[in-house]
Amino acid sequence: MADTLITFDHVKKTYDSKQAVDDVSFTVNRGEIFVLVGASGSGKTTTLRMINELLEPTDGNIYFNGKRIKDYNVRELRLQTGYVLQQIALFPNMTVAQNVALIPSMKKQSKADTSTLVDQLLNDVDLDPQTYRDRMPDELSGGEQQRVGILRAFAGQPQIVLMDEPFSALDPISRTQLQNLVIDIHHRLNTTVVFVTHDMDEALKLGDRIGVMRLGKLLQVGTPDEIVRHPADQFVQRLFENSMAHDVYHVLLSKLAVMGYLQDVNDLGTSATNDDRVTLTGDQTVSDALTPLENNNAVLIQSEGGPARLLTRDQLFKFIGDYRSH
Amino acid sequence: MNEFWQTLISRRSDLISAIWQHIQISLVSLLIAMAIGIPLALLVIRHHRAANVLTQITGVFQTIPSLALLGLLIPIVGIGTVPAVIALVVYALLPIFTGTLTGITGIDPSLEEAADAFGMTRTEKLIRVEFPLAMPTLIAGIRQALVMIIGTATLAALIGAGGLGDFILLGIDRNNNSMTLIGAIASALLAIVFSGIIFILQKSKLRYAVATLALIILVPSGVGLYHAVQPAPQTITIAGKMGSEPDILINMYKDMIHQVDPRDKVVLKPNFGQTAFLFNALKSQQIDIYPEFTGTVLESLVKPTKNQKEIGTPPVQLYQYAKNDLSQQFHMTYLKPMAYNNTYAVVIKKSYADAHNIKTIADLQKVEGNLLGGFDLEFLDRTDGYKGLQSKYGLNFKTQSMDPDLRYEAIDSGKINLTDGYSTDSQIRQYRLVALQDNRQLFPTYQGAPLMNTTFANKNPKIIAALNKLAGHISERDMQEMNYEVNVKQQSAANVAKHYLTTHHLLGGAR
Repeated sequence: MADTLITFDHVKKTYDSKQAVDDVSFTVNRGEIFVLVGASGSGKTTTLRMINELLEPTDGNIYFNGKRIKDYNVRELRLQTGYVLQQIALFPNMTVAQNVALIPSMKKQSKADTSTLVDQLLNDVDLDPQTYRDRMPDELSGGEQQRVGILRAFAGQPQIVLMDEPFSALDPISRTQLQNLVIDIHHRLNTTVVFVTHDMDEALKLGDRIGVMRLGKLLQVGTPDEIVRHPADQFVQRLFENSMAHDVYHVLLSKLAVMGYLQDVNDLGTSATNDDRVTLTGDQTVSDALTPLENNNAVLIQSEGGPARLLTRDQLFKFIGDYRSH
Repeated sequence: MNEFWQTLISRRSDLISAIWQHIQISLVSLLIAMAIGIPLALLVIRHHRAANVLTQITGVFQTIPSLALLGLLIPIVGIGTVPAVIALVVYALLPIFTGTLTGITGIDPSLEEAADAFGMTRTEKLIRVEFPLAMPTLIAGIRQALVMIIGTATLAALIGAGGLGDFILLGIDRNNNSMTLIGAIASALLAIVFSGIIFILQKSKLRYAVATLALIILVPSGVGLYHAVQPAPQTITIAGKMGSEPDILINMYKDMIHQVDPRDKVVLKPNFGQTAFLFNALKSQQIDIYPEFTGTVLESLVKPTKNQKEIGTPPVQLYQYAKNDLSQQFHMTYLKPMAYNNTYAVVIKKSYADAHNIKTIADLQKVEGNLLGGFDLEFLDRTDGYKGLQSKYGLNFKTQSMDPDLRYEAIDSGKINLTDGYSTDSQIRQYRLVALQDNRQLFPTYQGAPLMNTTFANKNPKIIAALNKLAGHISERDMQEMNYEVNVKQQSAANVAKHYLTTHHLLGGAR
């Protein structure tokens, strides 16, 4: 049984007469990335903002470490909660280093330790401390700014980091880089993350578990695999299908992984394994797999943080067939 | 131009002290306005309605004419630096208040949200985020306030607070353009320099900016506050109306008082303002003595009985009426009057009088249609002023209100051809004018005498004795001569006063 960090217990939030969040119950496990996905107006951001008490529930309770959130001192709760905003919102009056060091300095941690931590964190995200420490936020690109935004959230070593559509304003390349960065930091620190997005691809890529929301209701909670294979209803299914590329050849190979078209290497006979097998990554598309599959009956797909798995020619044909029949 | 430099050189020590005084008043006012405006803005920042109401109120403050505000403050807080500072604070509130308010409300809401989400307390958020981000707008507000304060502070001289306004007022009064110009240029330069300093600070690093700003504000205002708060030693404050004549008189009072008791500290407030200013200041014991005229007392200050206003009452009797009424109605003591009668006079150019054979006021009817009278507001309103000219002489001509200091220039340059003057004015001689005969006795007798509260008089019998020595002295011609010395020959009033007292053996015998 996983260790529960956050529990939503029949939580409701009403604005005027509008039901923004309608009787939502779920748990977030310690050390997982939990993604809330849904269209705008689905209540996902409202749900997120109730965790650090930026909003208060109209009804129901939220528990953090088994204690009701409203029983916490707000400042204490928030110091244990990192926050990454879509608007990035680095403080323009502070340097990069001061932004990153904000929470440690509010916790009155020693300046020397904080300074070392900041340098280390900047190095971790490929921002050279010598160059970037003393820059002001407006001297950075959007992608660089959000890197700093992420560091700011993690620098206080919080128990949980909340991310509110952090990458939706960024260009696709920065977005992919930062998604990988989040996965990377998460693997290293094992911090619990609650991540809000409207992008199903992002949800499938990042989420250990995903909660799908629509019009204030939580439709389904499950692993990416469960969501894809056993959508709770038509809406969830459609949400997933819509996330797919319009052209079958542009579908990401990582998506084939979550849809279950890949096989573990051991499942095939030893005869099928040979050393000169072509290896592709999850970022590449179906069209990239076609040429290698002309000469081989299978290619290796290396996905984030897991073992490489096999895509056979048969499975690819099956996928293309399934895609057509949707 | 040459005259300008000469005045500048001869007055340079006065100028430096006036500038210093001006800086002190301005910065003390700015500091207080900041101490009120900034916290007030922070207080209402989350309450839109209260913020709106306060913005309106501070806005209304700014529309109050500064002269009116100064006048209103005299009965409440008296004269000198305090009311000047209060008035300036009232004016400076709007830019500082709105600067703070818009600076903080203009901050990107996502930054506010981030600050909240990171667990900042109200104070932390203010210090780490809101203040630094609001700083440019706030500093712009402070800069605007300071420039406005430095400009408006010139009016502080009207109520005896000193500063560069002294130069301007004195220049206008003495008809000395160089002095007015020096005062105006100095205050403009001061505004530019301080505005520039703040501008430079705004560009520099925050902590240096704050430190320098604090230093600039705190040093002079600290000195200023020290002086303002320090309990005044037993001093006798003597004020006088605008003009050289009251200035000469109060210098005489000072000399006479010093003769009997050199330890008394006598403070003079020349060019203090018009009758109501002075009378209120005396009533509220902000000043101790000022020279007042019998005619003014009966016309403007006391409520006289019917028979007191009868025409042809002898001057001695008029003085008695004034003295009794002041004593009964205001509990004031009115000492014995001097010899001269400084009454109103209707004045026209001598050339014009000769050409039309005008000798008396009644003769004016011959040229009534061609007259354009320039009068000060007081004269226009008084029953023994323009109204009396209408009723008693049946005159009806076009008038125009103007500052008393400008009327002689105006008549000299032909902008008007008739004005009111006083029979002792030096300009009558200077500009070749004539005072027309008041053959129907419209204008009452105006004899000057020291006026004070009875409580003060009872405490200081020596001073009364000293001032009473002036009774019966100084003829109209003496006064005209002395006014001429000060106004035209640019002698100091103190020297002219001392010269008269010494040559008439009122001063110096015992010393």
